[in-house]
Amino acid sequence: MADASSLLLALQMGDSAFPSGGFGFSWGLETLKHDGLVHDGAGVTAFARAQLRWRWACADRPVLRAALAAKGDLDRLGALDREVEAMSLAAEQREGSRRLGRALVRSHVTMGTPGAAAFQAAQRAGRVLGHLPVAQGVVWGGAGLDVTGAEAVSAFAVAAGIGQAAVRLALVGPVEAQAMIADLRGVIATLLAQPCPERPHAFVPAAEIAVMRHESGDARLFAN
Amino acid sequence: MTAATTSHPGAARVGIGGPVGSGKTALLEQLIPRFAARGTRLAVITNDLVTREDAERLRRSGLIAPERVLAVEAGACPHTVIREDPTLNLDAADLLEERFSPLDLILLESGGDNLASTFSLELVDHWLFVIDVAGGGDIPRKKGPGVVQADILIINKPDLAPHVGVDLDAMVAEAKAVRGDRPVLVTNCRSGEGVDAVVEAIARDVLFDGAA
Ligand SMILES: Nc1nc2c(ncn2[C@@H]2O[C@H](COP(=O)(O)OP(=O)(O)OP(=O)(O)O)[C@@H](O)[C@H]2O)c(=O)[nH]1
Ligand SMILES: [Mg+2]
Repeated sequence: MADASSLLLALQMGDSAFPSGGFGFSWGLETLKHDGLVHDGAGVTAFARAQLRWRWACADRPVLRAALAAKGDLDRLGALDREVEAMSLAAEQREGSRRLGRALVRSHVTMGTPGAAAFQAAQRAGRVLGHLPVAQGVVWGGAGLDVTGAEAVSAFAVAAGIGQAAVRLALVGPVEAQAMIADLRGVIATLLAQPCPERPHAFVPAAEIAVMRHESGDARLFAN
Repeated sequence: MTAATTSHPGAARVGIGGPVGSGKTALLEQLIPRFAARGTRLAVITNDLVTREDAERLRRSGLIAPERVLAVEAGACPHTVIREDPTLNLDAADLLEERFSPLDLILLESGGDNLASTFSLELVDHWLFVIDVAGGGDIPRKKGPGVVQADILIINKPDLAPHVGVDLDAMVAEAKAVRGDRPVLVTNCRSGEGVDAVVEAIARDVLFDGAA
């Protein structure tokens, strides 16, 4: 196990109480419920597994790694951001990723995390877009998380975020959600043991179509 | 007009909270033209709970340019989005400032919530809590944190008092009793009666330009 101080750092960065806006997003789950395509814990688990395997592991993970490795180089971060932008087909997926990136960076600017203010200034000047995995790499790197810690926190946030959204959508109970997240920890550990792809790519068609349908739908508890 | 002296750069941010249906959007509809007439440069954020209804209603109202109204979704958590994690609202305020700078004032309507709802001072400089007479004359003495802690308590819908068996004067007196010297204002957000006093209070305490 990691030493206590890096464990504590990861706990804080991964705390669902850390102000970063994630509670407002369902990444398609709200629409899938509304359309009757997901209606129970098994459906939520399948949705979360797909998001982890076919979006997080193959898209967010390589971007997060590259953003950590960029060590604040704004040209490299800007190029990464443009790649995420080009890969995000659904508008609310793209906009959601940018909003959450800005929200996360904003809290870190206020806290004084190294590198956060420079990134926010570049984002406001239009030099970078500030997509979520890029922003995570910047601020978590600045806060001192290493690659393993950052990847674990990022993937866990996906699982925990889906679990919370599912509770609020009344798809699962709160303890059932934790049991699901416990299973998803195993999925995440397996994914982390696999090599990280060089280039980001993603394929979660049911979720993407749901996010697109959300844009004009009338189920609007969540931002996507 | 000078911008407010607040703990953050840019426009002053004023929150409007209160239970479902108490008249928060109706108050906004009364405040917007009054601030516009004073030359206050304004934008609005709504935290609609289940739809974009309030944002759309304001955009269509003709009272304010539609692009100056942003809706922030609360993920079914109206408390969280104004208190525990106000980052999505702060981000919306940043966007409004970027697009329409200079702004003097951003008004932020919370989703309808309960009496324990309060705004974080990391989000707003000042906040109003709107309750209404039809919600019951006993609401003030329940001493909800919203009723007690808000910078201004608004008691709305005084016209309904006789229809719902509420003694308005007693309700106002109890509200004053639980709030010490802090203001309690009575408005009728359908007729506009009493709203000028709200504008004056915000202008004086937040915009620091009491000279109307
Ligand atoms: N009689 C009377 N009705 C009012 C008054 N102010 C508002 N209303 C009515 O009360 C109802 C609710 O008003 P809204 O402004 O939508 O309330 P709200 O607090 O924004 O509601 P949510 O955003 O859904 O929580 C509407 O039908 C208004 O016309 C008032 O002073 N008197
Ligand atoms: Mg309203």
